Amino acid sequence: MEKFKNTPVVRAIGFNRIVLIGVILLMYLIFAVLTPVLRGGASFVKFERVLSALNYAYFIGFLGLGVTFVIATGGIDFSLGPVMFTSALISGYCLMHFHWPLWLCILVSLLIGALFGVLNGYFVAYRFLPSFITSMASMQIAKGVGSVFTKTQSVTWPASGNENSWFRYLIKWGNIPTGLILLFLIAAVCAVVLNKTKAGRYILCIGSNREAVRLSGVNTKKWEMLAYILCGLLAGAAAIFYVGAYTTVQPGLGDTFNNEAIAACVMGGTSMAGGIASILGTIIGALIVALMQEGILAMGFTISYQYVLTGIIVLIAVTADTLSRRKRV
Amino acid sequence: MGDTILTMKGIDKSFPGVHALDHVDLEIRKGEVLALMGENGAGKSTLMKVLTGIYKKDAGTITYEGREVEYTDPRHAQEDGIVIVHQELNMMGHLTVAQNIFIGREPRAGLFIDDAKMNADAKKLFGQLNIEIDPQETMSRLTVGKQQMCEIAKAISHKAKIIIFDEPSAALTDAEIEQLFKIIRGLRDQQLGIVYISHRMDEIKQITDRVTVMRDGCYVGTLITADCTKDDIINMMVGHVIYEDPKTESHVRPDAPVVLKVEHLNAGRMVRDVSFELHQGEILGFSGLMGAGRTETARALFGADPKESGEITIKGKKVDIRTPEQAVAAGLGYLSEDRKRFGLALKKSVTENSTLTCLPKYCKGPFLNQKEERKVTRKYVEALNTKTPGIDQLVVNLSGGNQQKVVIGKWLIGDSDILIFDEPTRGIDVGAKQEIYELMNQLVEQGKSIIMISSEMTEILRMSDRIIVMCEGRITGELGIEEATQARIMHFATLRS
Amino acid sequence: MEKKKTETHRPLLRSFGAQQVIVIGVIVVLFLFFSVASASFRRYTTVVTLCNYMYYILLMAIGVTFPLITGGVDLSIGTGIICYSIVGSYMISQKGMPVLGGMLVALLLALIIGFVNGIIIAKLDLPPFITTLCTMMIARGLGSILTGGLSGVWPMAGSPGGWCRSIFKITVGGRVIPIGMIWMILLVAVMSVILRRTRVGRYIIAIGSNKEALRLSGVNVVKWQVIAYLISGLFAGLSAISYACTFTNITPGTGAGLELDAIGGAIIGGTSMTGGSGSIFGTFLGVLVISLLKTGLPYIGLQANWQQIITGMVLIGAVAIDMAKRHQAE
Repeated sequence: MEKFKNTPVVRAIGFNRIVLIGVILLMYLIFAVLTPVLRGGASFVKFERVLSALNYAYFIGFLGLGVTFVIATGGIDFSLGPVMFTSALISGYCLMHFHWPLWLCILVSLLIGALFGVLNGYFVAYRFLPSFITSMASMQIAKGVGSVFTKTQSVTWPASGNENSWFRYLIKWGNIPTGLILLFLIAAVCAVVLNKTKAGRYILCIGSNREAVRLSGVNTKKWEMLAYILCGLLAGAAAIFYVGAYTTVQPGLGDTFNNEAIAACVMGGTSMAGGIASILGTIIGALIVALMQEGILAMGFTISYQYVLTGIIVLIAVTADTLSRRKRV
Repeated sequence: MGDTILTMKGIDKSFPGVHALDHVDLEIRKGEVLALMGENGAGKSTLMKVLTGIYKKDAGTITYEGREVEYTDPRHAQEDGIVIVHQELNMMGHLTVAQNIFIGREPRAGLFIDDAKMNADAKKLFGQLNIEIDPQETMSRLTVGKQQMCEIAKAISHKAKIIIFDEPSAALTDAEIEQLFKIIRGLRDQQLGIVYISHRMDEIKQITDRVTVMRDGCYVGTLITADCTKDDIINMMVGHVIYEDPKTESHVRPDAPVVLKVEHLNAGRMVRDVSFELHQGEILGFSGLMGAGRTETARALFGADPKESGEITIKGKKVDIRTPEQAVAAGLGYLSEDRKRFGLALKKSVTENSTLTCLPKYCKGPFLNQKEERKVTRKYVEALNTKTPGIDQLVVNLSGGNQQKVVIGKWLIGDSDILIFDEPTRGIDVGAKQEIYELMNQLVEQGKSIIMISSEMTEILRMSDRIIVMCEGRITGELGIEEATQARIMHFATLRS
Repeated sequence: MEKKKTETHRPLLRSFGAQQVIVIGVIVVLFLFFSVASASFRRYTTVVTLCNYMYYILLMAIGVTFPLITGGVDLSIGTGIICYSIVGSYMISQKGMPVLGGMLVALLLALIIGFVNGIIIAKLDLPPFITTLCTMMIARGLGSILTGGLSGVWPMAGSPGGWCRSIFKITVGGRVIPIGMIWMILLVAVMSVILRRTRVGRYIIAIGSNKEALRLSGVNVVKWQVIAYLISGLFAGLSAISYACTFTNITPGTGAGLELDAIGGAIIGGTSMTGGSGSIFGTFLGVLVISLLKTGLPYIGLQANWQQIITGMVLIGAVAIDMAKRHQAE
């Protein structure tokens, strides 16, 4: 086993990640076998299933990427889901009611996400408020803002065929899952930012020991704020992928996605204590969450099972992380 | 003085790399106040921790009231009547005095806690000690002195027979110290055995009956307070140590400019009106006992902690330093004394830690220039002879000495002109120490200037060109290396103004 | 409840700190503001609406005050009250249990979740927020799973079993009297006494003040920490019952966000996020502020979405002030 762990391929990807990929394959197998058993006639092994799962994976993936940066600093962001919805609502409203050009609305979505990132980042980095309560409060504010803006109406983005529907090509072009390509692309960018830039270096070191970084002469507040802004930005991006797949957004929803994004993140090996983060792990985690959701529904269970399982998974992942940390140090 | 109530014989205790207690003896008698003295690191605290069960001894015996005992938990020692009043009080600030004293053993009236009885009992305890404290006052509202008296009351309520005071007067006003002494005398009259750990000579003279001195983990001897002088005690504390290569004269050029001038630095209780100068190419030693305020001074200077006042002039220009960022920009570097807490991101690699002070220098735009980064890290790992399997090794896996070298490397890479080393060789083996000393000498030859805070006398005398001594937040003495001796330093270190 | 003005109750009186006076001031200002701004606010029905909010929020808040005092938090109470009331409703309407039985089932489930929270936090030493976040998720799904996803309704007034509603509201001569407030005030008094004068409260405060010092004093810290979360669970169960008996349709899977009203109320009332201090009466006042906002805002045209924005801002404000206070104290 040790020899396997030390081969160069395994070390590059990370043993955890290999395990997770194994988990995905195993899950697929289980769903493929059980679906016809539990729901006679239904089959899991269809291309549509994969596409459907991918639709879910996209926006969860973006949310997960964003929260990875925040968790890397040792914080947490519970406002992701509602911020994503609010961005989709407001930019969608601008599109449908003010008739702004689509590219501008996409920008608006990103901007709104970033603004909430500024809100969270300010209170956490500059005012030293606990990140969980701050982001929960901004979650409420996000829910409210979205609803107020659209006067509590839901917003439906244009269906394909419409002149303004080219954003759907971001998710799927014919049979090509462009969304997946974009997700990997952006994930790659995130990985570069996290591992190869000054910003990422500071973010990770702050998560490991904020005070030591401060005493080394670094303006830790600035970089911590940046992590939250990045998270918000990615939530704004996630919005586009959500509406690309599901078309209609309703105000006031979104918090279940928080937990799924966090689950993807911690499953993938990012430590809640901060300092250690893996973009690849988050992506695989997002795929697992999406596949799980698809499989649960395919087997005839309700989304409630997803909620319960996600809760249990995060609990196990965080416990494992905490226990392993305690052993080492 | 009464009979012996407790003896410790041949106590031995080692930690990885450190022989903390070497066959130490101690004798506590009833109705007597015994002073326990020694320099930082002499082993006084460790000995008491072994006695009360916080540490497990490697060898030796403890005989208490005629029977041999060994405690594994301070609670057991407490139940048996041996209580320590720590420097950091173990109090729950949000509860009242009485609630703190009787925590865990509250008297009950039916379903409820009988607060009335608790308050009355507390009042009785305070009466025994002759102090005026309101049992219903919230603990955090009391002064440190009063809080300490509550700890004493708590100890008595446990029917203590031996009370150990660990640096009790450090945070007290003069009036409170007087009260404390009255209480201690009262306890002594009640035939308790008291151990008084302190470095304050005048207090030792006032309140104690005998003095036991330790040095470098060894028992040196015991004197009768009334029969000895301050110098007798200092000589025992300091001993006749042979230092290798003590510095005989200052290596600073006579025309060396002043690179750092600090005027009237004030930051709370521990930094009071501190003013000093640092010359180019100088190693300025900061000596003093624990709690003297040296680290606090360095941190206030470096912008790590807020300060109330103080002017800092670097190379002739006044600078405003309120954050470490500004300090680093002005050319200062600070190696804190607790490298694990403040110096290193433990889960990060040697490389990642090494470039923290000047990361922008190793970047191409927003991107890290990892090639250059690794090059410079390797260079300093070699130069400092840091033993690590590789520069990607996580710092947490290195030994203490090598961790310290990574920290030093970090500041060298940052190229600060003025370096503040706070206990640079703490927890480091002899060989590595040597390397660090050589390094420091090289640095000043290259034109850098160093402030070295150290509690190790030999180190101070070996490395410093000039020595500043602090005591309780104030600078009490300044010595050129030619005129410096351990005894003279100790004199200033215990000089309370 | 007799208020003995003896010496031993001085700490109780001291809980009337400056913060609570300010909060009372805020309540008065809010009340006047809404009364002036809207004629409809000045009608009697407003009191009933206010009490409807007060019941379930106050019960949650009383419970969560205890984990907050230990320096932790319980986020599972929001989705929890929906889960417990749904399961209770399922037992009553689908399984033919008497209403009392439904109540007991709800309480039992709440206590189980509370125990799970407490054990994980106290023994495994996981951060409270992530632990209770997970149980919040689990509670969210659990209700639907156990009941097959049906929304639930507890028996209405007038039907057999509808007596449960008259615990909180009775109709006398055309007017609805919120008698539930009597129970609330009683509970506030009882829990206040428990906090101040029993070992439960004493040790919970001690844990929040200095857990290590308490441990060194020989007290079983794990036990009392678990009890803090059990209390939170118990009151989440009571809140579930009040929610069910006050409103009609309960939709499974909802409830996320309700806990913030409770936590916000506790913090406004003086309970600190850092632990060691808190007062049940303060929580009562804080919840009154939150409920007043929820009741009054619709009258000036600001619907639920504005409420969310405002409660969010109020929460951040309350925590920021709490942090500033602690910084000052140090």
